[in-house]
Amino acid sequence: MNDASSFRLRLRIDSRELCAAFLCCFCFIAADDGLVNEEVKRTVDLSTHLAKITAEILLSNQGDSAVHSFILAVESDLAPHLAYIGVKGDEEEDGMLELKQTAIQGQSGEFYKVQLPSSLGAGAKLRVKVETVFSHVLRPFPTHITQAERQLVVFQGNHYLFSPYPTRSQTTRVRLASKTVETYTKLGNPSKSDDAIEYGPFRDVAPFSEDTMKVHYENNTPFLTISSITRTIEVSHWGNIAVEETIDLRHTGAFLKGPFSRYDYQRQSDSGISSVKSFKTILPASAQDVYYRDEIGNISTSHLQVLEDSVEVEVRPRFPLFGGWKTHYIIGYNLPSYEYLYTLGDQYALKMRLVDHVYDDQVIDSLTVKLILPEGARNIHVETPYPIDRVPDQLHYTYLDTFGRPVLVASKTNLVEQHIQDIVVHYTFNKILMLQEPLLVVGAFYILFFTVIIYVRLDFSITKDPAAEVRMKVASITEQVLTLVNKRLGLYRHMDEVVNRYKQSRDAGALNSGRKTLEADHRTLTNDISSLQARLKAEGSDLADKVGEVQKLDGQVKELVCRSCQEAERLVAGKVKKEAYIENEKNLASKRLDLVTRIDSLLDTL
Amino acid sequence: MAEHHTVTDGKHKASPNAGGSLHGNSRPNVASGGGGKGGLSGGLAQPAGWQSLLSFTILFLAWLAGFSSRLFAVIRFESIIHEFDPWFNYRSTHHLTTNGFYEFLNWFDERSWYPLGRIVGGTVYPGLMVTAGLIHYVLNLLHLTVHIRDVCVFLAPVFSGLTSISTFLLTRELWNQGAGLLAACFIAIVPGYISRSVAGSFDNEGIAIFALQFTYYLWVKSIKTGSVFWSIGCCLSYFYMVSAWGGYVFIINLIPLHVFVLLLMQRYSRRVYIAYSTFYIVGLVLSMQIPFVGFQPIRTSEHMAAAGVFALLQAYAFLQYLKNRLTKQEFQTLFFLGVALAAGVVFLTVIYLTYTGELWTVSYAKIHIPIIASVSEHQPTTWVSFFFDLHILVCTFPAGLWFCIKNVNDERVFVALYAISAVYFAGVMVRLMLTLTPVVCMLSAIAFSSVFEHYLGDDMKRENPPVEDSSDEDDKRNSGNLYDKAGKVRKHVSEQEKAEEGLGPNIKSIVTMLMLMLLMMFAVHCTWVTSNAYSSPSVVLASYNHDGTRNILDDFREAYYWLRQNTDEHARVMSWWDYGYQIAGMANRTTLVDNNTWNNSHIALVGKAMSSNESAAYEIMRSLDVDYVLIIFGGVIGYSGDDINKFLWMVRIAEGEHPKDIRESDYFTPQGEFRVDKAGSPVLLSCLMYKMSYYRFGEMQLDFRTPPGFDRTRNAEIGNKDIKFKHLEEAFTSEHWLVRIYKVKKLDNREPLDHKLRSIVPRPKYTSKKV
Repeated sequence: MNDASSFRLRLRIDSRELCAAFLCCFCFIAADDGLVNEEVKRTVDLSTHLAKITAEILLSNQGDSAVHSFILAVESDLAPHLAYIGVKGDEEEDGMLELKQTAIQGQSGEFYKVQLPSSLGAGAKLRVKVETVFSHVLRPFPTHITQAERQLVVFQGNHYLFSPYPTRSQTTRVRLASKTVETYTKLGNPSKSDDAIEYGPFRDVAPFSEDTMKVHYENNTPFLTISSITRTIEVSHWGNIAVEETIDLRHTGAFLKGPFSRYDYQRQSDSGISSVKSFKTILPASAQDVYYRDEIGNISTSHLQVLEDSVEVEVRPRFPLFGGWKTHYIIGYNLPSYEYLYTLGDQYALKMRLVDHVYDDQVIDSLTVKLILPEGARNIHVETPYPIDRVPDQLHYTYLDTFGRPVLVASKTNLVEQHIQDIVVHYTFNKILMLQEPLLVVGAFYILFFTVIIYVRLDFSITKDPAAEVRMKVASITEQVLTLVNKRLGLYRHMDEVVNRYKQSRDAGALNSGRKTLEADHRTLTNDISSLQARLKAEGSDLADKVGEVQKLDGQVKELVCRSCQEAERLVAGKVKKEAYIENEKNLASKRLDLVTRIDSLLDTL
Repeated sequence: MAEHHTVTDGKHKASPNAGGSLHGNSRPNVASGGGGKGGLSGGLAQPAGWQSLLSFTILFLAWLAGFSSRLFAVIRFESIIHEFDPWFNYRSTHHLTTNGFYEFLNWFDERSWYPLGRIVGGTVYPGLMVTAGLIHYVLNLLHLTVHIRDVCVFLAPVFSGLTSISTFLLTRELWNQGAGLLAACFIAIVPGYISRSVAGSFDNEGIAIFALQFTYYLWVKSIKTGSVFWSIGCCLSYFYMVSAWGGYVFIINLIPLHVFVLLLMQRYSRRVYIAYSTFYIVGLVLSMQIPFVGFQPIRTSEHMAAAGVFALLQAYAFLQYLKNRLTKQEFQTLFFLGVALAAGVVFLTVIYLTYTGELWTVSYAKIHIPIIASVSEHQPTTWVSFFFDLHILVCTFPAGLWFCIKNVNDERVFVALYAISAVYFAGVMVRLMLTLTPVVCMLSAIAFSSVFEHYLGDDMKRENPPVEDSSDEDDKRNSGNLYDKAGKVRKHVSEQEKAEEGLGPNIKSIVTMLMLMLLMMFAVHCTWVTSNAYSSPSVVLASYNHDGTRNILDDFREAYYWLRQNTDEHARVMSWWDYGYQIAGMANRTTLVDNNTWNNSHIALVGKAMSSNESAAYEIMRSLDVDYVLIIFGGVIGYSGDDINKFLWMVRIAEGEHPKDIRESDYFTPQGEFRVDKAGSPVLLSCLMYKMSYYRFGEMQLDFRTPPGFDRTRNAEIGNKDIKFKHLEEAFTSEHWLVRIYKVKKLDNREPLDHKLRSIVPRPKYTSKKV
């Protein structure tokens, strides 16, 4: 029996998906197995808005041969509401057993064939734990209540374990949400303690026996249902995974009848006791930049608490949710990708929760998951923990995309907390493609600047204005003239320095070479200016005359410079006295200044 | 681009400048400097390059400063559409982006003005929506997945940058580059403009001021150049303005006024003729393309001035033409004949129009007076708000105006007229402060710039031409000058100091310091006003506790979202018209009246329902198919803008249409007071609005010092605490009671008896206790 522990099969099954596929696969008579439920302990937990029925079964094989599987059955009334079914061996370390939907001729209901990890020999016994969760089976009755009233619900189930095998002994314990119970069926004189009802033990129950158990009791737990949730996971290889959940929420308890009075709601603590003010959503510990909003902006009534192993958002809808009221919101956050994205060369694997926690004991009527992979991801392969419907892939375009990101879309209905499991997506991605986006930006800016450069440099006007053109030409020539004239004036200053140095060092060679360079430079500059002057004249500008005048003045300056040079030579040679030289020099300098000023003023008018 | 402009400018420099005083032109440095050399001197090696880089940087910083100072609301709250009208604009933009342009133009909105509906495409200025939609479209085309809400929220701050650039251009045309840059900086942060263009304030004015300034810039440009190119540009900009805001009427009156004054001042020239003729004809045709405007430009009185000036200009030009062809005698005869004929025609037209009642369409205003008067932004402006919105600029702009008038030329006539008319309008209505703000910025910038030119720095003297030079001539030449001179000055071998102008350096620096202090205080004031007065979304309220923490009162959205989620999709919500756009935008439900107050009688009917007693109101509400009634009640938190405080306007508007049923005097005490406590008039205490506001409020004790039912807004204990409803029931009240929604009950299946059922008391049986 304990051999089962050596097998770690953790495959579970869900009620609806396999229905069609396996409905007609196996048809056989149950009693043939010779299996018997020795002892059954059922717990019907009705303390929330879900019905969680667990049964601990001691199976014994009283047939002749070993069996490899057994059958689980769900009543036909409850079967459509079955959200989750799972079987476990009784040992702690036992994994989940494999389930397969099947059918039994002549019997209504849903049947699951459980594959045993090892065969069960004749006379051997096995303890298993069957867990089932049903959604929307607690019916509010009355269906409409006022704000002051409490919510009463009815549950209809089976006193016995619905099983294809005979049951030797069985107890059923019903856990309720409160002490207040209106009525309950009294099969076998059950005992009722605070918030629990104990049925049984029932002895020797025949296979497929059904007896309606009905409990009508007070249940003020929030009857919240997520009527639809769209979970978008956008993976970026730049280190971020963005998750966004769009949630439609509805209070599926008893409808609110009559007015909603804020006064009563604020003053009396038990007013609107079944309404939902807020609930907690647990996000992954590394969640950042959490936002909580709807179509008209942030929902300012929420709080965020960062805990050690999770981030807790206190989600408070804009208004309290009463029976029948609904709301809609978006919650989103960013995750660092290193926690969820694994890579080996070009191979990537993303391991994330297919659906995450929204509130405790959540019921999701319809889930759509959109997985947006990076642009260029190929060979996509998905591993889901339970069967899920795949819709054809889509393309998604966002910032800097060119050919679109692949989007995997999948959907599933009727999910509960037990479905919070990981999905694994394998894909390959060429790392070179990471460069595409930065290059795109660089290219765009390059083109922009280039266009501006081109535009500024070229003349795009469709008319030619000869006058303006001439003016511009003249302008450019005068510009050149100005530069040249200034350079020439600079030469003189340079010469002055040479002369001064000569006066100190008395090195005639240096002076001569300086004079020579001056002459040469001066000649070239003057020639240049003359040619420019000629061009100005050719353009017909009156500025040519002014340039001519500058040239004339410059000639005089040149002469003065030469004279001061000669004077210096004479001084050095001792041909003149120092006083006379200084007098002379002053004279020359003032003349030069006068000339330069005139040149300046001429240049000003250019 | 620079060459391009200079080339165009240079061309017109040759044409004789009519009427302008030309003394400055004779100065050789100006004459030769205007040769258009500026364009060639590019690159950072030259001062011109530095200058353009500096201008570019300053403009960019002005844009940035303007943009960021408008983000207070986004940072403090969130990226949300503000107030009332923006919600409609947002809703329309949303419609435009989801359904396309033609669907938007043909949009019949059956969700407003129930049961009448509203032809939205034909009753809005679509410029705003189209602009936002276009930006959104382009961004999405580039795969920048921006939500349309964010485009709408940030549109006005982005456009404020464009406004400052166009203000720069306009001021540069009027004065010089320095003044332009100052003006750009002023308009970027001046509260008078920020009040209408903070992030989230998605309203027509946000983009219209840009269009206004740009149109004026192009107009000044076209009047200076006389080129058809600039005139057409002006028309296109005008077209954009028409599509964006009803304030285009300001343009279409100011430009003709400018032309008219130019004619009076003997400043007529061919340039004026070309500019205005092109502008009027093309602008007219373009403006008529907007469905909302339609044939108004040729029908209504506010457009007639433009037509009149157009005719006058043609006549004037014709006379000028004839003057050259005819002898003086012939000309005089013809002139008198023409004048007599024209006078006769005008006289007959006026008689005809008065007879048909087309000319003086005051009847419209007469009907709407209570509604128009009930809007706070239509009140006359107080002196305080001039200073509040413009601060130091309001004191300095007359100086700028004086500078302009002193050195008058064609375009300065324009800015003077702009200033004078805008001051007048701003005095009439708070809202029109907006049109005053740009011109105040420009003129103040001119004033500051002149002062700085005078007082700031000696070394700048040679670079900047003295004011006299720049003032009398086309300014484009000045900008050219700036470049040229700057280019040359560097090369002077011997720098010469000019003589001081009789002002000591101490005085200069003191004045400069004072000016800079003023500007600094202005910047501080602007930021303070923006942060405190103009950055509240008004959809979300915030209160601060003693320890500085903030409470967000999100009641409006709470209630609107409740309506959106938990009522029938076609439910009709009755509320006062203020909340119509918000209900349509946030709750997505049908409203009876909204902020587009086009149908006074419908509003009056709602006002009547609110001010009648419950059973009379029920009749009205049933006839209007009302499912829910929404009111705003501030008594719990002390919010003063609630419906009880607006109630008298409802009564007045209702009285205007239904004088028999509603009388304003009934709602006052005999002493003529409006009171909600026990002394209040009984009509008030039993009217629907009062009952809805205070339903179950009488039981509520807010704190221990006040009695139950104490209204914090009006500081009174309410007079009617026992409020029962027969036809309504409370459907929703928000957390702080700010919004209360009532459901209008359907008629009962059976008529309830108005008396109690007769109950038969069983007689006690007397049984004998005989044994």
